[in-house]
Amino acid sequence: MAMMTGNEYRASLEGLKPEVYFMGERIERVLDHLAFVPHINAAALTYDMALAPEYEELTSTTSHLTGEKINRFTHIHQSHDDLVKKVKMLRAIGQQTGSCFQRCVGFDGMNAVYSVTYDIDQKKGTDYHARFVKFLKEVQSRDLMITGAMTDPKGDRSLPPGKQKDPDSYVHIVKRNDGGIVINGAKTHITGAVNSHGHLVMPTAALTPEDADYAVCGYVPVDAPGVIHIFGRQTNDDRKCHCALDQGNVDYGSVGGEALVVFDNVFVPKEHVFMAGEHEFAYSLVERFATAHRQNYGGCKVGLTDALVGATFLAAEAQGTSNANHIREKLVDMVHLAETLYCCSIACSCQGYALPAGSYMADPLLANITKLNVTRNVYEIARLAHDIAGGILATMPAETDWKDPKVGKYVDKYMKASAGASAETRMRLIRLIEAMTCGTALVESMHGAGSPQAQRIMIWRQANLEHKKRLALKLAKIGDQPYLVS
Amino acid sequence: MVKVALKYCGSCNPQVRLGQVANHLAHLSDDFTIVPLSADNIDVVVVLCGCPRACGNKDEVRGRARDCIVVAGESLDGRPVAEADLAAAAAERLLRLRDTFN
Repeated sequence: MAMMTGNEYRASLEGLKPEVYFMGERIERVLDHLAFVPHINAAALTYDMALAPEYEELTSTTSHLTGEKINRFTHIHQSHDDLVKKVKMLRAIGQQTGSCFQRCVGFDGMNAVYSVTYDIDQKKGTDYHARFVKFLKEVQSRDLMITGAMTDPKGDRSLPPGKQKDPDSYVHIVKRNDGGIVINGAKTHITGAVNSHGHLVMPTAALTPEDADYAVCGYVPVDAPGVIHIFGRQTNDDRKCHCALDQGNVDYGSVGGEALVVFDNVFVPKEHVFMAGEHEFAYSLVERFATAHRQNYGGCKVGLTDALVGATFLAAEAQGTSNANHIREKLVDMVHLAETLYCCSIACSCQGYALPAGSYMADPLLANITKLNVTRNVYEIARLAHDIAGGILATMPAETDWKDPKVGKYVDKYMKASAGASAETRMRLIRLIEAMTCGTALVESMHGAGSPQAQRIMIWRQANLEHKKRLALKLAKIGDQPYLVS
Repeated sequence: MVKVALKYCGSCNPQVRLGQVANHLAHLSDDFTIVPLSADNIDVVVVLCGCPRACGNKDEVRGRARDCIVVAGESLDGRPVAEADLAAAAAERLLRLRDTFN
């Protein structure tokens, strides 16, 4: 099969029967349930844009395994150019969706697993890499959407996996035989979980020999027996079912559609097991996945911000404030903050390097700097958007009242501001800004790809502080220091 | 005599002390002579890069010699090597190459 279109992706979900629950109900059909449709639309755009001539330079590429044209989301980076194009692709798609399009997590997971399975085989003589390459060829040829299922519930954070009161606080192997393994546990916050084809399960932390059963990586189809999806709530998610205008971003929604994914004695056949006990490689897998995922955020979030700046500028025009100097300065600040993030993502891509497997990863220090900046800049961008949009962002009447035969005329009359914009235009812009900056969308910038402290730990490890100390010793003339410090 | 050229990446933010590696190689054996990269008939070029980005590892550099050794942060020819072992590992690799030339 060649690359899929968005509609072919939707059709491919038809044949799947994942076990999904939301708001106390078993959802039998994901494809047209209003809670999931915006997320399916956003994911579908990753397929359609890969086939669009104006975007295909970024969104498609050539498989290094088969020589076939593939969707970039199934690619293993082969160069710095691939790393840079990934960031540009994420920005370009984010501009179109104004929301998370979900597919990068599995993309990053596959890149991490590709390189780490190679390293495991080199040291242990295993055959994980060959298995993974075979699996990857299938992903590429079928253009599958795979989640990156890394984050465990973690239970008591002060205890390692094996010391938890509930051993299922981290996904672990409960049974092994010649045919494969059986896993138990859960993964939280899994983006795109209910509308993907399968889950790439990975360990979430560095592990010791005592926790070897928690060093598990493998692929599980979304509808494998024992896999249960419990879809998460989002701010204002009931608007998906009752409103259009009030959703703000009606086609693509907000964030990625995250779910708690439970693995209740799930069998993983040997050909889909890519790590089973090699605890000493868990940290590498986490680090490489985290680096790849943190690299992204100066791409996708900047794409979203491009749309947000546009919405904020239009709202200012609709309200007659766009010519005020302070409004222009604040729009400039929004652009400055966003492009700073883009600089970070481009930089960590350009400073990336080849791994022993031959694939490329971004520079870990700069990728973590990127994501840590996102946890700050995106909040500041949202603050500026709120400042410019005004208090109406929090108090605007409902779409149903605007359409109400009795009071609708008042809503329309008083929501109209400048002569050039209708009340509907202003209301649509305000709702879009609300959808993009309030509640869940903002929290995603804080904790997606890891919480700020996770980035700070990585920055401390990568900061090259000894070199900095040597530079200071030379300049302060402390001790016998060389003319040039290297 | 084996002609060895040393090529640094530029050392913008080195994660390892490249000078120590270079110094160790320069005094390794009388079988080696250190030459500039512009010299003719170089046997080995040792590319010394401060981090995994390996900015000095370019075709035009590698193409100057019969063989090449790449130090890139805590790695040697793509394999992880701790900084404390880097100079010795590079020396071992250089000596092995010398033996293949003889």
